[in-house]
Amino acid sequence: MTDRTLAPGLPRRRFLAAAGATAATLGFPAVLRAQPRTFKLGVVHPVTGPLAEPGQACRLGAQMAAEAVNAAGGIKALGGARLELLLGDTQTKPDVGRTEAERVVNQGAQMLLGSFDSGSTAAMVPVAQQRRIPFLVDIAAADPITANVARAVKEGQQKVQYVYRNFPTGSSFGRKAVQYFTEIFKEAGVAPKRVVLMYCNDLFGQNQARGFQAAHKAAQPGWDIVEVIPWPEPPSDLSTEVARAKAQKPDVIAPITRPASAQLLLPEIRRQRVEMLGVVGPGSPGLYEAGQLATLKEDLEHVLTSVPWPNFKHPKTRTLAEEYARRSGGKTFDTNSGYSYDGVFVVADALERAGSADPDAIVDALKKTNYTGGLMQYGGPIVFNELGDNPNAIPTMIQILGQKPVAVWPREAALQKFVFPRPKA
Amino acid sequence: MDPVLVAQGVVSGILFGGVYSLMAVGLTLIFGVMRVINFAHGDLMVWGMYLSWLLATRLGVDPAVGFVACAACLYLLGAALQRGLVDRIVDAPHEMQILLMLGVALILENAALLAFGPEPTRVRSSLTAWTVWVGPLFVDMARLTAFAVALALAAGLGLFLYRTDLGRRMRAAADNVYGAQVIGTDVRRVYAVAFGVGAACVGAAGALTASFLPFSPALGLSASVASFNIVIIGGMGSLVGAFVGGLLVSLAESLGAVFFRPSLKEVVSFSLLILILLFRPTGLYGRRLP
Amino acid sequence: MTWIGLGALAVLLALPAVASPYLTTVCTLIFFYGYLGQAWNLVGGYAGQLSAGHAAFVGVGGYTATMLSLEAGLTPWIGMWVGGALAAALGGGIGYLGFRFGLRGFYFVLLTVAFAELLRVITSNVDAVGGALGLYITFTGDPWQFQFQDTRVYYYVALALMVGATLVAWLLERRRFGAYLAAVREDESAAEALGVNTFRVKLLAMVLSSFLTGIGGTFYAFYLFSLQPGTMFGIPLSVEIIIRPIVGGAGTVAGPILGSFILTPLAEVSRLYFGQGGWHGAHLIVYGLLLIGVVLFLPEGAYPRLARALRRRGR
Repeated sequence: MTDRTLAPGLPRRRFLAAAGATAATLGFPAVLRAQPRTFKLGVVHPVTGPLAEPGQACRLGAQMAAEAVNAAGGIKALGGARLELLLGDTQTKPDVGRTEAERVVNQGAQMLLGSFDSGSTAAMVPVAQQRRIPFLVDIAAADPITANVARAVKEGQQKVQYVYRNFPTGSSFGRKAVQYFTEIFKEAGVAPKRVVLMYCNDLFGQNQARGFQAAHKAAQPGWDIVEVIPWPEPPSDLSTEVARAKAQKPDVIAPITRPASAQLLLPEIRRQRVEMLGVVGPGSPGLYEAGQLATLKEDLEHVLTSVPWPNFKHPKTRTLAEEYARRSGGKTFDTNSGYSYDGVFVVADALERAGSADPDAIVDALKKTNYTGGLMQYGGPIVFNELGDNPNAIPTMIQILGQKPVAVWPREAALQKFVFPRPKA
Repeated sequence: MDPVLVAQGVVSGILFGGVYSLMAVGLTLIFGVMRVINFAHGDLMVWGMYLSWLLATRLGVDPAVGFVACAACLYLLGAALQRGLVDRIVDAPHEMQILLMLGVALILENAALLAFGPEPTRVRSSLTAWTVWVGPLFVDMARLTAFAVALALAAGLGLFLYRTDLGRRMRAAADNVYGAQVIGTDVRRVYAVAFGVGAACVGAAGALTASFLPFSPALGLSASVASFNIVIIGGMGSLVGAFVGGLLVSLAESLGAVFFRPSLKEVVSFSLLILILLFRPTGLYGRRLP
Repeated sequence: MTWIGLGALAVLLALPAVASPYLTTVCTLIFFYGYLGQAWNLVGGYAGQLSAGHAAFVGVGGYTATMLSLEAGLTPWIGMWVGGALAAALGGGIGYLGFRFGLRGFYFVLLTVAFAELLRVITSNVDAVGGALGLYITFTGDPWQFQFQDTRVYYYVALALMVGATLVAWLLERRRFGAYLAAVREDESAAEALGVNTFRVKLLAMVLSSFLTGIGGTFYAFYLFSLQPGTMFGIPLSVEIIIRPIVGGAGTVAGPILGSFILTPLAEVSRLYFGQGGWHGAHLIVYGLLLIGVVLFLPEGAYPRLARALRRRGR
C-alpha cells in the first residue's frame, strides 16, 4: 500500500519542500544551502516501479532509523547535528537512479544510502566516485558493485574507494545456503540426495542460482543438484516446470522466487502432489512476507529459506517490528526495512568517529567500523573488508511455522526448532 | 524424455491456451471492426482482475460467478473510452493510435498502482485448488473453466456477429464504413459497442484468471504484448484465429518448457511471431488487410 | 530558424559553466535521448516506418562495445564503431526481412518489437554475455576507456552526439535521398509507380538509423556503468526513444530535440512533485495525460505547430 507515514494531500510544509525541490531542479542549490547543524543523507530507493514494495520498505526503515538517531541527540561529534534524509526514487531504472543521486547531491547530500537493485546501484557508483560522496550500499547483492571499485583503487585508477556495502554478496549467499542445507540435513538425521534447483531468471535469481551452484561445487557436500530449472520472470504458468521437477523424484526442491512466481510455484507443487522431504530455498523474497502469507496460507507452511533476517532475540528489534507494522499498514519488519535501518545507524556511527563531514575522514572512519549495535542477524560485528563488503553480513535460515516466519538456524539465531522433513500432508 | 511429462505438457499447454484465447478474442474484435491497435488491452485485463478481487474480498462474490459483473463494468469502461478518445483517432496514422493507447495504458496502470499498491496478489475462488487426476495426468479445473468460457465466448461472439442485426452492421462497418453508413448504420455506436465488447471479453479473462494468475499493476504491459503476439499469429480480426492462436502459442511455450530451458520459452512464441509475420502476415485465419 | 538554433547551441555550450551538476546531468539525458530520437527519426519519421524495437540496436551496440572492452581491452572509442556496425547489420537484416516481405504499418511495428524482445530473452539466458545479471564496468575515470571523472564531459559528448545526428537529418532533408524518403512516407505505392526504388530507400534509412542508435548504445552503457538485458533491450527504452520525436514532430529536424526538451524535464519535475507527496506513480499518470493531449490536439507534433505560429507572427 502507499506510504502511510505521509498522508495524501499537500499541506504547506510539503508544498514548500516541493517548491524548494523544484527550485533545486532549476539548478540553483544556493536556495537550500543555508541549513546548519544537519547532516544530509541522500536515501535513494525504487519506491515506484516493479520493486516498489521492497523499495518503500527500505525508505520507511531508513526514515525510522533517522528519527531514532535524532531522538537520541543526533550526531554528537558534529555538535548534535540532526540527520536529514533527502529522499530519491530510482523507479528501478539505472538512468533515473543516477539522476536522482546527482539531484540529492545537488541539494547538499553528503552521503548516499541505497539503492536495492544492482543496476541502479551500479549507476550511482560513478557519482559517488566522481563527487567524492561516501556511498553505503544498504541492499544490493551483485559482487562487482564494490569489487570493481576496490580493483580500480588497487590498480591506481582511482584514489579512494567511496563505496561500501553492508549486505551479503551473491557469493556469500551461496556459501551460507549450502552450509545451512548440509547442517540442517545432518541435524535432522536425514540424508537427502536429490535437490532440484528452480529459480526465476532475472538479475536476482540468476545471481543467487550461480552463487548457490558455485558454492555447491566448491563444498562437494553429500547431496547433488540433479536438475536446474529457470523460468522467465514473471511467469504466467509453472505447471510444466513443476512437472519437470517432479519427474526428477526430488528429495528437496530449492526455489529462488519473487513474490509473483512464489504465488504460482507453491500451489503448483501442492497440486501436483510432489512427494519430498521439503521445500528449502537458498534465499529469495516471496516466501515469507506478510502479503505472501495472506495469499498463500498453508502452501507456505514449513517452507525454509535462507535470507538476511532481523535478530529477534534483541529486545529492541521486537519493539521496532511492532512500530514498523503500525506505520506500514501491517507489513513485517524484514530484510529490506532492516538493512536500511541498520545502514543509517552505520552511517551515524561512522560520523561519530569521523568527527567531521569531510568525505575522506568519513571513509577512513567507515573502513575502521566495528559496530555491534546492528539489529539484523550478523555473524559478528559490522566490519568492512578490503573489497568494501561486510563479511559478517550473513543470511539466516527461517521457516514458516504457524503461518509466521521464524529463525530456525544457525543455533545461536534460532528462536524455535526447525521442522524437517515436513510432515506428510 | 519422460512420456508422461510430454503428455502433461500438452495438456497444460492446451488448457492455458484458453486463457490466452480469452485475452486475444477481445483484441481481435476491436482491431477487426475498427482497425485500432489497443495498446491498453493488457491494462484493461488487469483492471478486470482487480475488480474481481474487490468483489471477492469486499462482497464475498466468487470469481467463478463474479466475472460477469467484471465484464459488464469493463464493457462500460471500454465504450466510454471509445466515445471519448478512440473515436477521434480512428482514422489517424498508426503512430498516433499507438501513442494515444499508450497514454491510456499508462494512466490505467498507474491508477491501479495508486489504488491497490504494487504487490502481486491472487483471488481465492472455489475453483482454485480443484484438480482432477486422469491417471498420471492432472487437469486444473480453474484453467479448464477459463478454457470453456473462452470457447463459449468465441462461439457467442460468432453468433452475435453473424446472426444479429447489430452484429451484421458491425461487420459491414468493418468492411466498408461508407457503405455501412449508406444503409443507415450509426457507425459511432457500432464502434462503441465493439470496443465495449472487446473490453468486456478481456475483463472476463482477467476475472477468471485472477484465481490462478498472480497479478499486479505491472502485468499490463506483458499481457498486452502477449495478446498482440497471439492475435497476429491467429489472424487479426478472426475469432477462430484468436482461439486457435491462443492454443498454439500456449502449446508451443509449454512444449518449449518441456524440452528446453523453460526461461527460454518466450523465444518460442516470438520466433513463431516473426515467422508468421514474414510468411503469412495475415495470420492463420486472417483476411488480407486493405 | 537557423539563427535561433545557433543561438541555442551557444547557450548550451556555455551552460555547464554556470549550472549545477544536477542540471548538467538532466541536460545530458535530454541530449542523449534527443540523439536516440533523432536517429530513430531517420527511419521512423522521414521514412515513415514505425519501429518500436529500436532498443535492440542500443543493446547490440552497448553490449558489443562493453564485451570488447572487458574481454579484449579494446577502447570503447573504437568499440563503439564496431557496435554501430553490428547494429547496422541487425537493422539491415530486420529491414530486409520486413520490407522484402512487404510488412507495413502495424505489422512492421510488431516485427521490430519481436526482435527486441527476442534479443532480451536470449541475452538473459546466455551467461557469456552476463545473463540476467548483466555486465559491470569498473569506474576508472579514464578517458581512454570512455569514462570521465568530470560529469561535464558527458554533457559535451551527448551534446555532440545530438548535434551530429541533427546535422545528418538536416543534410538528409536537403539531398535527393530526403525527397525519396518523403515520397515513400507519403504514398509508397505512388512512389513505386514513379520509379523510386522504395525497398532500397527504406533499407538505407533503416541501416543508417540503426547504426547511429548502436553508437548511442555505447554511450548509454558507459554512462550507466552496467548493462542488463531489461534496461538495454526492453520495451520501456523503445518507448522513451520514440516518444520524443513523435511528441516533438516526426519527420522534422527539430522535432526530436524539442520533444526531448519537453518530455525529460517534465518527467523529472512531475516525479519530484508527486514522488515527495507519497503519491507513487502519479507522475506517470501525468505522462499518460500528456501523451493523450498531444495526440488529440497536436498530432503532427509540437514543432510544426510552433513553427507555423512563429511564422505567422511575422519575420
